Amino acid sequence: MGPSLPSRKRKEVSEVVESDDEFDGAELEGILSQSEDDDDDVEDSQSDGEEPELDEDEDEDEDEDEEDDVRSGDEEGEGINGESNSKNKPDVDGEADDEPNYRVVKDANGGVRYEYAEIDPVYDSDDSDAQGPVNTIGNIPLSFYDSYPHIGYDINGKKIMRPATGEALDALLDSIELPKGWTGLTDPETGKPLNLSQEELELLKKLQMNEVPSDDYNPYEDMIPYFTSIEEKMPLSAAPEPKRRFVPSKHEAKRIAKLVRAIKEGKILPYRPPEPETEQEDKYYDIWANEEAQERHVMHIPAPKLAPPGYDLSYNPPPEYLPTAEEKDNWEKLDPEEREKEYLPSKFDALRKVPAYGEFVKERFERCLDLYLAPRVRKNRLNIDPSSLLPKLPRPEELRPFPTVCQTIFKGHTSRVRTVAFSPDGEWIASGSDDGTVRIWALNGHQEWSAQLSSADEPEPVNMVRWRPSKDTFILAAAAGEDLFFIAPPIVSDATEQASRDVLNAGFGYATNGSSAAAATTTADGAKKEPPAKWSRPSASLVAKGVLLKFAVRSAIKTINWHRRGDFLCTVSPTGQRSSVIIHTLSKHLSQVPFRKLPGLAQTAQFHPSRPYFFVATQRMIRCYDLQRQELVKVIQPGARWISSMDIHPGGDNLIVGSYDRRLLWHDLDLSNRPYKTMRFHPEAIRAVKFHRGLPLFADASDDGSLQIFHGKVVGDLMENATIVPVKMLRGHKVEKKLGVMDVDWHPKHPWIVSAGADMTCRLWA
Amino acid sequence: MDASSAQVKVVFTTNEEDLVLPESKRQLLVPADIKRYGLSRILNSESMLDTSSPVPLDFLANGTFLKTSIEEYLKSNGLSQETTLTLQYVRSLLPPVYEASFEHDDWVSGVDVLSSTSPAGLLAGDAAVNERVASASYDGLVRIWNPSGTAIAVSAGGKGEGHTQRINAVRWLSPTQLASAGLDRKVVVWDYKEADDDFSGTLKPNMELWGHGKNINSIDVNGSTRRILTASSDGRVGLWSASKRTAPQADPESLPSAHNTKRAKLSNAGSTAQRGPLAMIPLHEEAVTAAIFHPKDSTVAYSASLDHTVKTIDLTTQREVSRLTTMHPILCATALPGASLVAAGSSARHITLLDPRESAAATAAMTLRGHVNMVVSVAASPENDYSLVSGSHDSTCRVWDLRSVRLASSEEGGGSVSEPVYTIGREWLKGKKLPPAGDGAKVLSVAWDKTWGIVSGGEDKKVQINRGNGLLPS
Repeated sequence: MGPSLPSRKRKEVSEVVESDDEFDGAELEGILSQSEDDDDDVEDSQSDGEEPELDEDEDEDEDEDEEDDVRSGDEEGEGINGESNSKNKPDVDGEADDEPNYRVVKDANGGVRYEYAEIDPVYDSDDSDAQGPVNTIGNIPLSFYDSYPHIGYDINGKKIMRPATGEALDALLDSIELPKGWTGLTDPETGKPLNLSQEELELLKKLQMNEVPSDDYNPYEDMIPYFTSIEEKMPLSAAPEPKRRFVPSKHEAKRIAKLVRAIKEGKILPYRPPEPETEQEDKYYDIWANEEAQERHVMHIPAPKLAPPGYDLSYNPPPEYLPTAEEKDNWEKLDPEEREKEYLPSKFDALRKVPAYGEFVKERFERCLDLYLAPRVRKNRLNIDPSSLLPKLPRPEELRPFPTVCQTIFKGHTSRVRTVAFSPDGEWIASGSDDGTVRIWALNGHQEWSAQLSSADEPEPVNMVRWRPSKDTFILAAAAGEDLFFIAPPIVSDATEQASRDVLNAGFGYATNGSSAAAATTTADGAKKEPPAKWSRPSASLVAKGVLLKFAVRSAIKTINWHRRGDFLCTVSPTGQRSSVIIHTLSKHLSQVPFRKLPGLAQTAQFHPSRPYFFVATQRMIRCYDLQRQELVKVIQPGARWISSMDIHPGGDNLIVGSYDRRLLWHDLDLSNRPYKTMRFHPEAIRAVKFHRGLPLFADASDDGSLQIFHGKVVGDLMENATIVPVKMLRGHKVEKKLGVMDVDWHPKHPWIVSAGADMTCRLWA
Repeated sequence: MDASSAQVKVVFTTNEEDLVLPESKRQLLVPADIKRYGLSRILNSESMLDTSSPVPLDFLANGTFLKTSIEEYLKSNGLSQETTLTLQYVRSLLPPVYEASFEHDDWVSGVDVLSSTSPAGLLAGDAAVNERVASASYDGLVRIWNPSGTAIAVSAGGKGEGHTQRINAVRWLSPTQLASAGLDRKVVVWDYKEADDDFSGTLKPNMELWGHGKNINSIDVNGSTRRILTASSDGRVGLWSASKRTAPQADPESLPSAHNTKRAKLSNAGSTAQRGPLAMIPLHEEAVTAAIFHPKDSTVAYSASLDHTVKTIDLTTQREVSRLTTMHPILCATALPGASLVAAGSSARHITLLDPRESAAATAAMTLRGHVNMVVSVAASPENDYSLVSGSHDSTCRVWDLRSVRLASSEEGGGSVSEPVYTIGREWLKGKKLPPAGDGAKVLSVAWDKTWGIVSGGEDKKVQINRGNGLLPS
């Protein structure tokens, strides 16, 4: 490689740095936490399969808000009350002042006269004891005073004012405390309310109850009988019985003779003559008698015609129609309902030997039943072409190229292969397995390099391998257990390998998270804070193989993903609680935890392919953070129970999510935070999803041992939605212990895909 | 004569000038149930061609080889027995016969043959040329074999001399020189010396050629001009001189000593001369998989790449002259000397015949379909212009006859399509079903020589030799 090429590339990179105002990564520590402060509930307890209820947090927030509102309302109410109290107080004081209740005026003689203020007849006033008003006008009708405001004069010569009739307040007061005997009527004599006494009320009640009004009257007085009930001993008359009671009646004899004569003459019949039975024939109805010839209607269905008799119905059928003895036997053995034919063809020499047909009546009857009762309905066939109901999708053949067959099987791992990745130049495939090894293969299936990252006896499964996305270095990051190894495999040119080593060793000068820096990172209260990761050199034997750098975090790393520039790397360890998502800076050997608290169990995390966004997927949600502005940008709710994997379209506006509950979800980030399309094509959990970096393809890998290839075309303008067409199901991996395909990766240029299977193989499909 | 032996009128035609029938004998009534063998015997009889020794013939009816009886052919094609059938007769390709397998320690990535009829052997002129096979293996060793399956010479591995990593290709430059290249980015030119007893020899590295930045995928040599062409994954085609004297000094930056790695120190320990390229031509965006000389003009070369293109290069100006774009990544290429076509094997499991001439109307002359995995090696027939052999990851080599052509259906993308005449499986599989994805038996390299027959090496760590005894008699 010429010397000019790397320098030019480096220049480009530096230009990129200047042009896009990217987050500089200097301080990522906890920067994204303030947006999470109110989410106190961490879903630590939900790893045992309980459904994480992320909504709870929000609900609690809302509740708190409502409580606040109520409380503030109370405070306002108190304020009002306080004011009214302070207003009332001076009035009360004013009433309490003592003043003489009379005025001194001059009378007619010029003497002093005390004039008392009119006593306000308030409730509890002393005046209530005084006798009720007395009639001072004498025995004259009240109507004489109709034109005056007063009724007579009192003892002082003052006018007795007419009582305030109909005043609303009085009426209300009266209605509240009804005096005894209140009627609501006005006494015409006094103009006062007319009250009734107890006796009057009882009288009225008795009248109302239809009882005798006065007490003196007794309705149940003892009966005085007019006739005696005593039976007399002696008859009133002694006359004998008359003769006519013994002599036969001549009149009756005459009537009987008349009847006898009538019977003899036959005028009277001793019994009813029997009625003629001719009318019974009319009880049979011809239901088609009145049928009119109908015009041929579309819906008219003529009665089906009886099949004409065949040869087998003949009395002398040809011999081939006659049943053999065996057939006859079979026919007789069968249940009458199961017989194919109702009759057996039989041969007679002459027509005269044909007996009467025994089944005739039954047959006619059944035919009539058929005609009369069997519904004859024209069946309307649904004239919808089923293919027109399907959405119009291009045929898979038109969407070539896409992988169709397995081209290479990579054999060598001694346990299930967990992860696989294409190198950035597409010439190598790296795979990591439960046997603790990382292996690098050529595309024709030849194993080129391998390294045992942990002890061979108790191997830590290699959960993820990912290449550093740059073509001038050749660096592989491999996560095994809690350790993450950086590998520069010695299978490339020396220049590239040297560049890779330089990149890996550059951070040793900083040693920020190393042992020396432990003292530097102390929190405000002086307590020593453990760095989230410890960077170090691996063992000498590994260094000799090309494994040049490693760091260890606190819990097992499940997912790693590089930033596109290759300096940042995020690791996700779902069981890591506070430090489950860590962003590492390779050039400084620095590890930072961007979230103090994460709502939920982190599953995977990924950098946006072009913008300074960072996506973190918990079990149910995907949150997108802006690393530059340090804020939460978006929350995506795929609706899956447990997200297993996600990938961001290289264009940056679309996202696919795979979940353990067998769903593959396509999200359009501009459209909604709900999925644009949900696909359930796998009978088992989906383990991995991946977009092709150049072609409109994406794939998923499932535990049913198959991969599905989709054509997913994203159009630039916002008017058109993405076209998603499933194009191919790739089968071949065997399912072992309910695990099928564990990971997939696309070739960076060609439509080739490599999959890692639990059957200890990787497969390349093209 | 009973009713079953109906007769069909056939007309014999041919393109082979030495086998032309006289005009009067071209039409013939033959029994309908006759097959290829019977027709061949009729034509070889005294009354027809009157050949001194019988020439096995194959018959092309309407562009396809007649494999059944004429009657069945007519029936399957819906033709009446009264039609006159035109049969073109050609010399028969006899099925290749398995000869031997040479066992290796690791995968065999490249084979080349040396014989009096091979290109390198022809250079020797009248001098006697031994029959040898050179094989390149993934263990980094070049081996020389004699026909009885003995490894006469093995290159020195590892320490300083020879290759440190796997070798991808090996070629005979001349009966005493070989060139090999591989993953360690260098071309090694070997001096091969043989003892008089024909059973031992030595391979000594003559010089190392440095300049590529990545894996070298294939090499081609031109013995007369002593030039080497390499195709590398760094997207460049290298042109090298095979003689130490004319080769320029290597760019020190490209040498492993420029980088102070442990591996570099190891590989630099040897004392082999290091030389650089005559030209390093950046042509492709992606890995170049094949670079081949024009069979007749040593100043023209073709390069094929994973970026779907085949380019014609003028080696004097080191410029790209023209390019042919196909639909698929191309993994191998060879030039057909007679037809001025380039056969390119693609990752989409077929071979495309490309016409690189400026005047060509269509770039893709024909498509050869039949492989079920990537085609990684093709070799032209040494004897005629119309057959070639291809090796694929599906564990088979297939022999193709370009004369057997039919029009492709629209599903296949139109154009002309041909099917393989013979399929050569790996012998140790004993005719079992093809392993899925060629697992364990991928063919990685194939060579075809008149003397040796078809020599192929692959993942099964064997070089397999199949010879058609009189496969294509002259």
